[in-house]
Amino acid sequence: MSAPSPDAVIESVAELLAHALELEYASKAHYEQLADSMNVHHNTAVADLFCSFATLSADHAAAVAARAGDTDLPRIPPWGFKWLCPDAPEGGDCLDPALSYGMSTVQALEVALHNERRSRAYYAHCAASAALPEARRLAADMAAEAAEHIALLEQMLADERRRHRDTPDDLDPPHVPA
Amino acid sequence: MHEPSDQSLEAASPPRPSGKPQAQRGKQAQPTPPAREPSARQPSPRHRASIPSLRAQIYKSHIKPVWCPGCGHFGVLAALTKTLAHLELPPERVAVVSGIGCSSRLPAYLAVHGFHGLHGRALPLAAGLKSARPELTVIVAGGDGDGFSIGGNHFLHACRRNQDLTYIVMDNEVYGMTKGQASPTTQPDWCRSKLTPQGTGIRRFQPAAIALAAGASFIARGFAGAPAGLTRLLAAAIEHPGFAFVHVLSPCRTFRPEQQHWKQQVHPCELEPAQDLAQAAALMQRDDGMALGILFRQRIPVYAAGVAPITEQALRQIAAHSGALAEIEAELCR
Repeated sequence: MSAPSPDAVIESVAELLAHALELEYASKAHYEQLADSMNVHHNTAVADLFCSFATLSADHAAAVAARAGDTDLPRIPPWGFKWLCPDAPEGGDCLDPALSYGMSTVQALEVALHNERRSRAYYAHCAASAALPEARRLAADMAAEAAEHIALLEQMLADERRRHRDTPDDLDPPHVPA
Repeated sequence: MHEPSDQSLEAASPPRPSGKPQAQRGKQAQPTPPAREPSARQPSPRHRASIPSLRAQIYKSHIKPVWCPGCGHFGVLAALTKTLAHLELPPERVAVVSGIGCSSRLPAYLAVHGFHGLHGRALPLAAGLKSARPELTVIVAGGDGDGFSIGGNHFLHACRRNQDLTYIVMDNEVYGMTKGQASPTTQPDWCRSKLTPQGTGIRRFQPAAIALAAGASFIARGFAGAPAGLTRLLAAAIEHPGFAFVHVLSPCRTFRPEQQHWKQQVHPCELEPAQDLAQAAALMQRDDGMALGILFRQRIPVYAAGVAPITEQALRQIAAHSGALAEIEAELCR
């Protein structure tokens, strides 16, 4: 039940695929949770955006599943994944200071971009460190895909920043004494 | 008490967003994410076993958490669902009991048996449930106010009773649901509440040390911002035979924003889990309250695995005394 050491490397293609699937499903769960949270707080524009990200994560997961085919994947305990960060790179950080019920679409895109960059960094790390050449090649492909997503998100973010120069006011701030 | 629904992995993903129309905040237009060709290929059943985040979904209910975005309790919810999936506990064999408070909403967000009880009374409720239904995995959840103040007495006796329960306390050092008052674990000089403008001036409750003194057989501390480690602790706690206390540092974004620094302050426990009281007491003396891991674990007899069935002999004794009891009753009830 021991956690992997920080310098643990991916040993096989099957192990990399297991990590990729967990990454995408953790991402889907995180964005769904954020969408729910924004809906509860009536921030529907951001909720819809997070919902779209969840759908994209599901699509990416399906693509990884198709790649995995009939490969036998290792069963890894939740704490046994060899991430570079505390949890799956796109699984998000529940304590992310950017998260707020009044967050804007710009801030939501920044959260997604941050997650995607962590994902690329993770795959790039695997591409450089995985034990087998085949796993390194697959990780490099995945890093390239993540780079494409980053480029798209950066473009969306630039467009959105042009449209919304200002962060919306918090219409219902919590009562906290100064 | 709500019951788990019979749902498949597919059914566990609700349609999103909900159909109820809601007001637009800030009237923002939604940017359109890049369209991708969705693949029809889904993970095969044997692949599902390798994806903890997918398996965790069956333990989530369709009720949307009302916690503030950025709340640590989301991390506890995620860790708990992954733990239940990892342990392969069928939802109908798990019950989560809570008291009152932000963290006590947890049972509503889980697709297992749930009981949202009275303030501070989650532990006696759970003790009753476990006695009556020993085959259930009973998990108790709540916050620092619910567990250490209103329910403080129950906490002490649950520790010494050592019934087979897992108690998760999400400690954010504040009463969040009632808008930010000092709790038993709040620092004495915290003065951001109008009720305590000069701070409470009272020394903090030390949950782990008090659990040890009260006789708990498993004491651990986790952090909501370290979900993998927390999942591991929860799995160990649920598997521990006896009362397992998991103290989770779970920051409150709204009323204790300074707790964001906990990420930099938490650290692994330097020592191996203590096995005996003397070793544990030494560890507690050095504890700065931010050490994560299993602090103490000891195998001691577990309180009655359930309510023992009444034996024939006991029935005969009851019958033999029924006359005497009737006399006493008649005398006292004149």
